Amino acid sequence: MATANPDLGKLGDELYSHWERAMGGWWDQVLENPSVLDAMGKSLGGAAQARGKYEKGVDDTMAQMHLPTRGDVIRVAKIAAMLEERVLQQEDLVLGLKDQMGRLEKEAVHARIEAAEARLELRETVAALRAELARGSSTTASNKSPSPPAARRKANS
Amino acid sequence: MSTTVTDRVIDTARWLASDPVSRVRTGQTPHAVLFRDQKACVRYFAPETARLPPVFCVLPLINTGTVFDLMPGRSVVEALTAAGVPVYVLDWGRAGPEDSQLPMSHYVDRVLGRCINRAIRHAGIYEIDVLGYCVGGTFLALHLARNPGPARRAFFLATPIDFHRSGRLSTWARPETFPLDSIIDGFGNFPKALMQDSFRWMRPTGSTQKFKTLLDRGDDPAFRELWVALESWNADGVDFPGATYREYIRGCYFDNALMKGGWVMDGRRVDLRDAKIPAVTVAAAGDHIVPEAAAHALAAVWGGPVRVATVSGGHVGVCAGAKLPAAIVEWLAT
Repeated sequence: MATANPDLGKLGDELYSHWERAMGGWWDQVLENPSVLDAMGKSLGGAAQARGKYEKGVDDTMAQMHLPTRGDVIRVAKIAAMLEERVLQQEDLVLGLKDQMGRLEKEAVHARIEAAEARLELRETVAALRAELARGSSTTASNKSPSPPAARRKANS
Repeated sequence: MSTTVTDRVIDTARWLASDPVSRVRTGQTPHAVLFRDQKACVRYFAPETARLPPVFCVLPLINTGTVFDLMPGRSVVEALTAAGVPVYVLDWGRAGPEDSQLPMSHYVDRVLGRCINRAIRHAGIYEIDVLGYCVGGTFLALHLARNPGPARRAFFLATPIDFHRSGRLSTWARPETFPLDSIIDGFGNFPKALMQDSFRWMRPTGSTQKFKTLLDRGDDPAFRELWVALESWNADGVDFPGATYREYIRGCYFDNALMKGGWVMDGRRVDLRDAKIPAVTVAAAGDHIVPEAAAHALAAVWGGPVRVATVSGGHVGVCAGAKLPAAIVEWLAT
């Protein structure tokens, strides 16, 4: 312990640590002694039972006087807790449904995107085919006879 | 500034008499309550700019959520958000007599699962990194083993797994001397006062040491502030719901079932080998509540790859230092 006189402070610290060691050792023996623990346990058990009996006595007296007992208050509190638990269960259920809805929505969006992509692909393929067809028909037209289409139609009819 | 022991004692006594605990303000980092499941809630601490993936933190059932947000400059969530980590913290709330019949699976499977689910929805991701502290970590480990789901990686801080190597608590919580059924039948829930007493008695000279440290370092206002914040948090306990406590003590302390197996919770087997995600287990070197051996035992029973580490600090003090947030940030960045 620091004081105006450092030597005295040091002595105080040493005295304290000696005392603490001695006391600590003594308490260790006491607090781990089976007979002490047994006696402490019995005393604690007795105190708890006495407390339980006292509370039962108070409850009985209150009940005889037609007043709400501690047990009644506990019952009401338990009912409130049960109701709250039901609300929380409903909330869990709603959140679970929300999750499922979210998953379904995501899946639906993915499916729509995939369908749109497939349509686009198809459209591009069709456009490419058309372009190719157009190119092909124009080449064929230029390679055939120079007679005008009207004259050909007449000849066919 | 005081110079003699007497001066220091008088000064400290005056300060303590002024009831500093009533003035301390823990849990100052701005946040929003994202979701409530009866008494439990998920608190969201938003960074200015998210630079790292979000983390979901599970705190012990027996304490309020402020251990990760002790005070400005000594806050895990403040440091994490400053590093760009969106943080979700599960605060179990305060159990009352009406919760005494709730089984462990209510917390491990239902509340934890629902809260992680809501955090993921909020973050707009499919997987999240999870972090458990102390018994919160034990509950998280059980959850991950039973519900393989949206957790990507796990970080366990001062989390007891081998309860037969949990120091003095494992000596006390033996079926032959610990009257578990009488306590729960009598009290309904395991009272916070008993819990705090048991922690105090784990190191009987701890209280003296605490005040000696205050005397030694009481000149430093920052230290005083931290001291009182830790005291305030320590004093602010929560009752352990009775039925859950019964299962927890039987499964973890009496049977050490996380190590040995054979625990059936709500009709389903519990086996940490079923958890396949990568995990990190970090122990605090000076932790007398969850010794290193109890925390590092995860490596022997976890189904996925496990990295073990130790940081300096005590069980609670580790949350007030700068090393823990740095370790979490490093883990999130990998």
